[in-house]
Amino acid sequence: MINFERVSKRFEHHDALRDVSLDIDAGEMVFLTGHSGAGKSTMLRLLMLLDRPTSGRLVVNGNDVATIRGRRIAKYRQDFGIVFQDHQLLFDRSIFDNVALPLEIAGFHPRDIGRRVRAALDKVGLLGRESANPIVLSGGEQQRVGIARAVVARPKILVADEPTGNLDPGLSAEIMALFEAFHRVGVTVVVASHDLALISRLRHRIITLKEGRLIGGVGP
Amino acid sequence: MNTSVPGAGVGPRPALVSWIDHHRRAASQSAQRLLAEPVQSLFTCLAVGIALALPAALWALLQNAEIIAGNIQTTARFTLLMEQGVDIEGARLTAETLEIRDEIERVEVIDRRDALAQFAEDIGLVELVDNLDSNPLPHSLQLHPVASLTPADLDDLAQVLTEVAGIEQVVFDTQWQTRLQAAIAALQRLTAGVGVLMVLGAVLILGNTIRLGIEARREEITVIKLIGGGDGFARRPLLYAGLWSGAAGGFFGAILVALLFWFLAAPVDRLFDLYDVDSRFTGLGWSGALALTAVGGLAGLLSAWSTAFIHLRRIQPR
Repeated sequence: MINFERVSKRFEHHDALRDVSLDIDAGEMVFLTGHSGAGKSTMLRLLMLLDRPTSGRLVVNGNDVATIRGRRIAKYRQDFGIVFQDHQLLFDRSIFDNVALPLEIAGFHPRDIGRRVRAALDKVGLLGRESANPIVLSGGEQQRVGIARAVVARPKILVADEPTGNLDPGLSAEIMALFEAFHRVGVTVVVASHDLALISRLRHRIITLKEGRLIGGVGP
Repeated sequence: MNTSVPGAGVGPRPALVSWIDHHRRAASQSAQRLLAEPVQSLFTCLAVGIALALPAALWALLQNAEIIAGNIQTTARFTLLMEQGVDIEGARLTAETLEIRDEIERVEVIDRRDALAQFAEDIGLVELVDNLDSNPLPHSLQLHPVASLTPADLDDLAQVLTEVAGIEQVVFDTQWQTRLQAAIAALQRLTAGVGVLMVLGAVLILGNTIRLGIEARREEITVIKLIGGGDGFARRPLLYAGLWSGAAGGFFGAILVALLFWFLAAPVDRLFDLYDVDSRFTGLGWSGALALTAVGGLAGLLSAWSTAFIHLRRIQPR
């Protein structure tokens, strides 16, 4: 599903990624870990086409991402569900409208949007709060709205960047359990996290980065 | 909606259907956003309205000026002074000869005695004139040309008349009419120029408002781009915001022009009466108001499109 082939990314004064080769299979769940600055975010940014590799090749779903330019970038990103550390919710609209946004972009019928949004909110345990503004929710609840938005369009790949960064251990475990649930229904899940204690308890492959190099890919 | 459309009810609909649907949604959402901030929207629309009202009012004034000018032209008259030696019979004969011509509607003969009497009455010195030994005035003809003649035709006619035997002098000043026409033509240019500048001003006013709108929605646009929305998706509400503000501005402009003309109507109608013009002072009318609204909407759309084009691509997810 996702193939990094000897990918390097050099910024002005440092190498963010050095010669990284990595294959993630369809339906797999993997954790990316390492200290901050180790290259986790850079890998996710390359995956989302927020940056381009300096050298090497990145193939996603059979397509070399170097060929995806211009208008096709938006279409490419629709295959992903993204969860951000700061959840990136829009506080000028309701929880429902936040979660509905990917469906509106993809062009769903309003009736289907309603059904799917409620289904997604149900999965994250927030059904019934859909007309509230997300600003009234706790941090853990806001992150769950972010997850509902990421999965509502049923993406092939779910990407999360430090999704539990601001949460206490109990809430973090709940969030990870949600990701595992999506993995069980066949979604490819990539989670960047430095919370080694948490992720090592879950039985998935852990990919460790150090100073831009891959230093280990421990299997489940 | 046709539910047999492939994909309906299970996933994304055909691109055209969802595109139309998003247009509808963007149109109503951007209208709601404008109404949610009524004071700010009102000021924007008023600024646009004032910018559009000035050239529109100038244009409507010119329409009225042209009506007056056209009317003056149809009432043009020549005064032909006969030579002193020509008697009243000679004057009548000349009049009959002239009336045959196509470009002449009718000719009145004015006896030199009547002319003197009228002159004496006009200046209020009847006795003094009565004591004159001889009448210094010649017989004269009042010549009414047909209405369809242009100033150039009238000039030609004046030339012809000077060559008619027995006519001493042709009194007809076409120059002021030519000058009036030239003045109107110059004012039309001025209106067109002011119009272009003011529409440009409206575009800039709206462009600035929309730029502020983009800044205020930077976060939303970033998120839209991150989760797979294209520039078109992010741009659509902005285009409608521009369209609505511009059209509302144009409509305000039409109202301002109507108020201005209502204010002007009484003195200008008096002016029309003085020039024997039948029609009344007219403003933009419904079609003009509609046109001004459309011009405003187009200016808004143009402004939103160019602003979005410049600023949207600068907002990229970090």
